[in-house]
Amino acid sequence: MKTLGRFAKDFNRNKALLLMVLPATLWFIFFSYLPMLGTVISFKEYRVKGGFLSSIINSKWVGFDNFKFLFSTDDAFIITRNTLLYNIVFIFIGLVLAVAMAIVLSEIANKKLAKWYQTGMFLPYFLSWVIVGYFAYSFLSFDRGMVNKIALSLGFDPVQFYSEPKYWPFIIVIVFLWKSLGYNSVVYLAAIMGIDKSLYEAAMIDGANKWQQIRNITLPMLTPLMTILTLLAIGRIFYADFGLFYQVTRDSGTLYEVTNVIDTYVYRGLKTTGEIGMSTAAGLYQSFVGFVLVITSNYVVRKFNKDNALF
Amino acid sequence: MSSTRKKLSIGLASILAVMLFLSACGNNASNNNASSSGNASGSASNSEEPVELSWYMVGTPQKDVDKVMEEVSKYTKDKIGVTVKMTMIDWGDYNQKMQVLTASGADMDIMFTASWAFDYVQNARKGAFAPIDDLLTQYGKGITDILDPAFIEGSKVDGKNYGVPANKELPAQEVWRFNKNLLDENKLSIDGVRTLESLEPLLKTVKANNPDVIPLQVDKNFMPYTPYDYLIEKFPLAVKLDDTSYKIVNIFDTPEMKQALATMHKYYAAGYVPTEAATLESSSDVQATGKWFADKATTQPFADNVWSTSYGYPIVSTPQSDALIYNLSVMGSMQTISANSKHKEKAMEFLNLLNTDPALRNMVDSGIEGTHYNVTPEGYIENLPESKNYDMPTFALGNVMLTYLNPGDPADKWEQFKAYNDAGKPAILLGFNFDPTSVSSEIAAVQNAKEAFWAPLMTGTVDPDKYLPQAIKKLNDAGLGKIQAEAQKQIDAWKAANGK
Amino acid sequence: MASLTKPKDFHRLSPSWNVIFNLIAGLFALACVFPFLFVTIISFTDEKTLARDGYSLFPKKWSIDAYDYLFKAGDQLLRSYGVTIFVTVVGTVISLIFTSLFAYAISRKGFKYRNFFSFFAFFTMLFNGGLVPTYIVTTKLLGLQNSVWALILPLAVNAFYIMIMRTFFATMIPDAIIESGKIDGAGEFGIFFRLIIPLALPGLATIALFSTLGYWNDWFNALLYIEDPNLVPLQSMLMRIENSMQFILQNTNNPSLGVGVLQSMPQDTSRMAMVVLATGPIVLAYPFFQRYFIQGLTVGAVKE
Repeated sequence: MKTLGRFAKDFNRNKALLLMVLPATLWFIFFSYLPMLGTVISFKEYRVKGGFLSSIINSKWVGFDNFKFLFSTDDAFIITRNTLLYNIVFIFIGLVLAVAMAIVLSEIANKKLAKWYQTGMFLPYFLSWVIVGYFAYSFLSFDRGMVNKIALSLGFDPVQFYSEPKYWPFIIVIVFLWKSLGYNSVVYLAAIMGIDKSLYEAAMIDGANKWQQIRNITLPMLTPLMTILTLLAIGRIFYADFGLFYQVTRDSGTLYEVTNVIDTYVYRGLKTTGEIGMSTAAGLYQSFVGFVLVITSNYVVRKFNKDNALF
Repeated sequence: MSSTRKKLSIGLASILAVMLFLSACGNNASNNNASSSGNASGSASNSEEPVELSWYMVGTPQKDVDKVMEEVSKYTKDKIGVTVKMTMIDWGDYNQKMQVLTASGADMDIMFTASWAFDYVQNARKGAFAPIDDLLTQYGKGITDILDPAFIEGSKVDGKNYGVPANKELPAQEVWRFNKNLLDENKLSIDGVRTLESLEPLLKTVKANNPDVIPLQVDKNFMPYTPYDYLIEKFPLAVKLDDTSYKIVNIFDTPEMKQALATMHKYYAAGYVPTEAATLESSSDVQATGKWFADKATTQPFADNVWSTSYGYPIVSTPQSDALIYNLSVMGSMQTISANSKHKEKAMEFLNLLNTDPALRNMVDSGIEGTHYNVTPEGYIENLPESKNYDMPTFALGNVMLTYLNPGDPADKWEQFKAYNDAGKPAILLGFNFDPTSVSSEIAAVQNAKEAFWAPLMTGTVDPDKYLPQAIKKLNDAGLGKIQAEAQKQIDAWKAANGK
Repeated sequence: MASLTKPKDFHRLSPSWNVIFNLIAGLFALACVFPFLFVTIISFTDEKTLARDGYSLFPKKWSIDAYDYLFKAGDQLLRSYGVTIFVTVVGTVISLIFTSLFAYAISRKGFKYRNFFSFFAFFTMLFNGGLVPTYIVTTKLLGLQNSVWALILPLAVNAFYIMIMRTFFATMIPDAIIESGKIDGAGEFGIFFRLIIPLALPGLATIALFSTLGYWNDWFNALLYIEDPNLVPLQSMLMRIENSMQFILQNTNNPSLGVGVLQSMPQDTSRMAMVVLATGPIVLAYPFFQRYFIQGLTVGAVKE
């Protein structure tokens, strides 16, 4: 009774804020939490029998069998390693470059030019991976590629990029950064714009030069955002961008050693059998690992600064 | 924290309850809708009320589909008391969309399926389609009469039929195609060409005389012909065509494949094959420019003419294999009835009519006469300008032998097709379809292992002496042996059951 | 660097650094624009020339066949523009309202349940039910099949945006402002709309931009939920062409598919033309959002 009373009081005091979270909360329930219940098919051998619910109920329980294909061979190591390493590189280089680019853009004296640059940087975001793949090919193709044409004219031997794994870690990272940098730097740019101008004025009065201002004001003000975005990225560390690793590499078998990631592995593996139980299982595994990692890193962040943590 | 968790779990439980309740309502509602829409369209022209069949079809959505289906419905309402609503889903989206629709138990009646689109065997096993054996005998007499028995036999999954194959070319025969201009220019003859090896002197001449031409056009889909029947498409398990003991082998262990791969590598080293063949998605670029000399293709009657017209330069071909009826050739185009359909009998009646009634078949195929097309007295079709709003994939809509002839077709086109079909002999695994359920983990692993070297080996890009042993080892590590054993078990059982 | 200081120029970069910054940003922007230029050129290249010579900046023969092919569909293209614009505008507005309200509430230190709701939102970023369950909720439960809402609602809320927005609110809005609002007797909603929103404009513009792009680029929801040709958005038309080209190319050796299908297949140039048509307008809309990145600064300064 007492707890209920306290709850009512709390509720009343937070009424307005609760009202604010209501619309999105309803959305989350319908579009995220309800469908999440469907994850149960990752423990089932899903067969259609009537509607979806009756199909689930009538499908056989198979325990963790649907997860087995992710761990059964040497490939398990390769795909886990590739997915993790690429994502770690993406997260860190991506963060550094996005912040750097945001600062560069914010400091450029000619604001009109800066706007043009910014718009230009955004364009790759609009190209699908298929198109990006075609471009990469027009650069890297053996007989028609621009890189090889230049190499030839400089007296180097042409390279068969699509069968040489050693180049691909670099190509993939470069293509990824090229495509995402413009998009990612916008958040930081907006954050810089939102920084209270009086802070800089105060610093100037203290005699701080531009670099000191960046180090002592801009970067600290961006830290919460950097922390949050990094934490969120860690949550998706077991997910790889399928198009990047499939389309851009032209699905070249010789490159799998450095290009096979969890998502491409699952796609190739399930092409013949199309078991949705197994694909759901793969997704659950990816989410679960991400979840554990975020919770851990969030815990670490909380130790340092409670305000920067996710929750 | 623990109280939060408790709240969360209570919340989730109540959400689940709500969902169960609501989806039950949802189902009821959709049932009601279905029956009421049936009522609504029921104008009393027939003794029974017409049933609306919803038909999912592959292909680029056409503007006039609804218009044509209205005409079709008028016709079918009188004949069998059904109306038809067709939903077209574009080529590239069909697999995924149909997968979602069936897995969610959507209300559908007829669906297109094939070995290459919304995989027939796979989805039959998953319960997406209704078994139609009884329906065929009851309402599908016309279908069984016109179809070569091999169609029915070859499309059985675990002993049951789930789909109505379209009556079209039945056997598959591999040919070498040649760019005739280059043949003439170099005064080459294709007499005596059949094996991969027999191509060599021709390729050599072309390479020497036409340096800008690709002597043997090969892309990543290429596979040299070997006399084996594959268990799964592009999967390394197969049975030799004349092996009456039905022994499953790893295709990479066979002397035929080993020799073919060695030859391909020799050709690759000699520069007969495109440098990047292993990642080349298609040959359409060279086909457009005509800068190729030979390639491999699957033929059908009059294929040379069709190819020549479509490329704009003459093509000739010569066989490299016998014409055999494979499971894949039977499952090139089929219509199935959804397991969730509420009008299975009516759907079968409709399919029966579609495959036997030329008026209906041509309406579905070419649209409305006078609007989309005209027919000459000799049975040739003349497309009208409006036909661009109704351009359907003919082969995917049932019995092609009922359709009008295209301008330029020989008058005896369909007789020749029949003769071609009659001459085809069944391949060894016709009617056997492997059930991969119990080894699906292994299949996933083997697929990944296999794709890493499949195209490089098949196109000759890599040296088989060096890579083949590695490949075989990787396949075995991934569990190919277990799949092989399971498949052998299934084949032996099938063999015994069918008295082979 | 420090030696270059001129006292009154503290607020600016030294000219040489300004040049370097311009070079960095300019070159990268060029590298990003270049492929787009290329796409445009390819879309105007003659198909046969493309097959023979490959991609080239200066094709030997130009052609507008690709656009002819696309405009053949006629009003379909215009209607798709209409659908996309409607979905993008309405969706972005809804998304902004939902996101900023939620994010603001969980950014407030005084909100009792802020941790619960933060986690509640964050959790959805990691776990999802997959395609089929989502499809069922959207079609059977909410009945959105073939409705324009099926293009709007599934993208209306995104935990990622919420987290970004929460950070903006938490770092950019001094607590003092909220306190002062309370002292003035304003309610929570009054404070939010009158005091907070103007201060958070850069953040809101970012979210609005992301959301606009998200809606503009979305094709998957249309694939799942839309069968009515009148409701097909632009990007979905493009992806249909792309997916189908790829599918048909992969099946060129499939005897069943036949030559006829291959012939009616859209060509490389049409695909590029479609990219141009689908991307052009939204690129022009981008500067609209940029305005607010700058404006936020001045508004913030004025408020102080």
